[in-house]
Amino acid sequence: MSSTSGPLTGSTATAVDERSRLQRLARHPVTHFVLVRGVLHTAVVLLGVMVVTFGLILLVPGDPVRIALGTRYSPETYDALRAASGLDRPLAVQLGSYIGHAVTGDLGVSFRSGEPVTALLLQRLPATASLAFAGVVVGLLLAIPAGVYSALREGRVADAVIRVTSQVGVSVPDFWMGILLITLFSSTLGWLPSSGYTPFSEDPAGWLRNLALPAVTVGLVAGSIMTRYVRSAVLEVLGSGWVRTARSKGLPQQQVLRRHVLRNAVVPVVTIVGIQMATLLGGVVVVEVVFAWPGLGRLTYEAVAARDYPVIQGAVLLMGALFLLINLLVDVLYAVVDPRIRQR
Amino acid sequence: MSTTHRRPLRAALTALALVASLGLAACSTGEGVDIEGGGSDGGGGSEGIAVAIGGEPDQLDPHKTTSYFSFQVLENVYDTLVEPDENLEMQPALAESWDLSEDQLTWTFQLRDGVTFHDGAEMTADDVVYSFERIIDDELSTAYRFSSVKKVSAPDPQTVVITVSAPTPNLLSSIGGFKGVAIVEKKNVESGDITTAPVGTGPYELTDFTSGDHIDLEANPDYWGGEPAIPSIRYRFISEGSTAVAALKAGEIAWTDSIPPQQVEALSGDDAVAVDVVPSNDYWYLALNEARKPFDDVRVRQAIAYAIDRDAIAQVTSYGTAEVNQLAIPEDSAWYTSYDTYSLDQQKAEDLLDEAGVSDLSMELMVSSDYPETVDAAQVIADSLSDVGIDLKIRSLDFGTWLDEQNQGNFDMLYMGWLGNIDPDDFYYSQHHTDGSSNAQGYSNSEVDQLLDEGRTETDEDRRQEIYDEAATIIADEASYIYLYNPSVIQAYSPDLSGYTVRSDRAIRWRDASMG
Repeated sequence: MSSTSGPLTGSTATAVDERSRLQRLARHPVTHFVLVRGVLHTAVVLLGVMVVTFGLILLVPGDPVRIALGTRYSPETYDALRAASGLDRPLAVQLGSYIGHAVTGDLGVSFRSGEPVTALLLQRLPATASLAFAGVVVGLLLAIPAGVYSALREGRVADAVIRVTSQVGVSVPDFWMGILLITLFSSTLGWLPSSGYTPFSEDPAGWLRNLALPAVTVGLVAGSIMTRYVRSAVLEVLGSGWVRTARSKGLPQQQVLRRHVLRNAVVPVVTIVGIQMATLLGGVVVVEVVFAWPGLGRLTYEAVAARDYPVIQGAVLLMGALFLLINLLVDVLYAVVDPRIRQR
Repeated sequence: MSTTHRRPLRAALTALALVASLGLAACSTGEGVDIEGGGSDGGGGSEGIAVAIGGEPDQLDPHKTTSYFSFQVLENVYDTLVEPDENLEMQPALAESWDLSEDQLTWTFQLRDGVTFHDGAEMTADDVVYSFERIIDDELSTAYRFSSVKKVSAPDPQTVVITVSAPTPNLLSSIGGFKGVAIVEKKNVESGDITTAPVGTGPYELTDFTSGDHIDLEANPDYWGGEPAIPSIRYRFISEGSTAVAALKAGEIAWTDSIPPQQVEALSGDDAVAVDVVPSNDYWYLALNEARKPFDDVRVRQAIAYAIDRDAIAQVTSYGTAEVNQLAIPEDSAWYTSYDTYSLDQQKAEDLLDEAGVSDLSMELMVSSDYPETVDAAQVIADSLSDVGIDLKIRSLDFGTWLDEQNQGNFDMLYMGWLGNIDPDDFYYSQHHTDGSSNAQGYSNSEVDQLLDEGRTETDEDRRQEIYDEAATIIADEASYIYLYNPSVIQAYSPDLSGYTVRSDRAIRWRDASMG
């Protein structure tokens, strides 16, 4: 057990220590157990998600085959499509086949375009990933300074201002924020394009210009949420015994903050960053619609509007899988940043 | 030009749904093209533009797509044999001229010389035969337009002969009314490329389709009508109207129809933007189930026609941009019939109900949540009807269920619309003929039947107009449909865009436009 790198003595850790610590960590049987358990756990939940997404199609009103065919079709076409989509088989068989295909990456074809759902989802992933990542970065740039400062000034005016601002940030509808930003930076100032997406591989500068406004829109909301978590995490650590001890040892405020407070406040913050990341990776429907952003959120929104069930199922499944994956990563990260978790 | 005639609103359903997309691999070739619209280069020539449509095409096969977004693009990529002009009268396109035999059963079309597809292949009569046979044999959604067609043949590469089973005066609008009956290339269809990389004969060639983001068109230098002035067009998919309007004001795009109706008034006062509001050929109506009492009584139907406030309905559905109309066809159409019998008259409505011996009437209005305007307007209608003592319950269904209920006759009153009609036969026959395929309300009047049958075969235009004036008047008098309004086509564009016309059939044509 790596009790030598506990909070009180952690200040002596060097870069070399850190590396060997990670190596030891990776070899450690308990870590191994955490990982294996996590992966298994994730797999089971994922299976559950598949059953639920499969069930989606049973819950909705209306017959998906009819919806796919539109209003004019012959009984033969109906039967043919029904058979082709396997909807004439017993439910259990359908479910088995759905899961069997899904684990091999085959999520069926879109009712509307006839394209494979997997290909559609993968096409949209880069735009969504860009936005999610940039949104979290913007959010953290806001949340860490604001949250820490707010905690340090607890009860004073600055704290109140930050808390109210973050509350407003959480409450402001993101489409409205998006439209305000477009009106200011595109229509009025003409600094940034109002909407659209440029792939990074084609034009990195264009990618960034297009990304700026949606990322800020997403980041303001994410940042507001995270500010509150950072603040309470820091406050909790500030009230702990070891910080009092560190201070009473006469360590300078900066050092106490860096070595004792921030390191220990990281765990709850990692959780919320993970949740934010996972949520954003599922696509930010409203922001994507406002900025004509070709992401998963808009794909899902369009599929819902068209009742394109295979795409809806695929998107929900992907979001579920991403969420689980991120949670798994967060669990692993916990073990990295907090030795105590490894010992559980 | 919303796709199909007789499929009520299927097209709009998809359009409204803002659906589309779904994958369509990109075929990137659009490099080196100036696609950014906006500022003027000060030179004499036109420049490339970007435009914004409200959603992404589901696919680009003109015979198979049902999305208006697809047709906004395909209008410029494909040609039809004949095509409607601004007044929706049919004009030569790929066919230079045509003759109709004495017995009105054989139409002979002479094709334009030297027309080529975008890949360089020559377009011949065989392509026309292939296209039409594909629609008929595969029973595609436009097959009904060819219901009277017995045979399509190509005696020589420049001649197409269509034989019909009965005189068909609306044949031209059936085979050329919109790009859903375009002439496609067999090779392009058989390779399957047509869904993402369609090859047509039109003024623009499609060079790139990036799902979720844009479609690029480039001017076809060999276009039979002459090379278009605007060298390239990028269609962007912006469903949020506020964003599209902001992009237009910022000069990022030169044209859009993705406009929130409540912003029309503010935009009209903005010098940086030109806005056009043109009543479309689409119409919305109420229909009462005549198989149910007391709606079999014409007086009850008329009472409802007098009790409703059409202006209030137009206001709530479209912020007043729709044009109230008591018949189906809008005023600028060549087939317009003037009719204004009904007015908001509660006294008259109550008298008619008394005469019919109806009191304490409680009924249901069936609307579809897929068309939110029907749900909004239903509340206005319920309010108006309560003033004359009718208790109206609103039943809101998804469109699939709505159609089932309509077809099974499970409704008292329904609220829906028809899109994209051109010929009066399309407006009245299937809806009001006793044997009409869409006569869900069960209207039957032998005089109307006779007139509608006559209109189908009458080739004298003036006489046809009289026939339809008469039929339409009876239909409205007897309230087979209670007509409400024609929604408007609303488009906004840069004042630098010239030669462009906003059309009542919603066709977006760039070939005569220029920019800068």
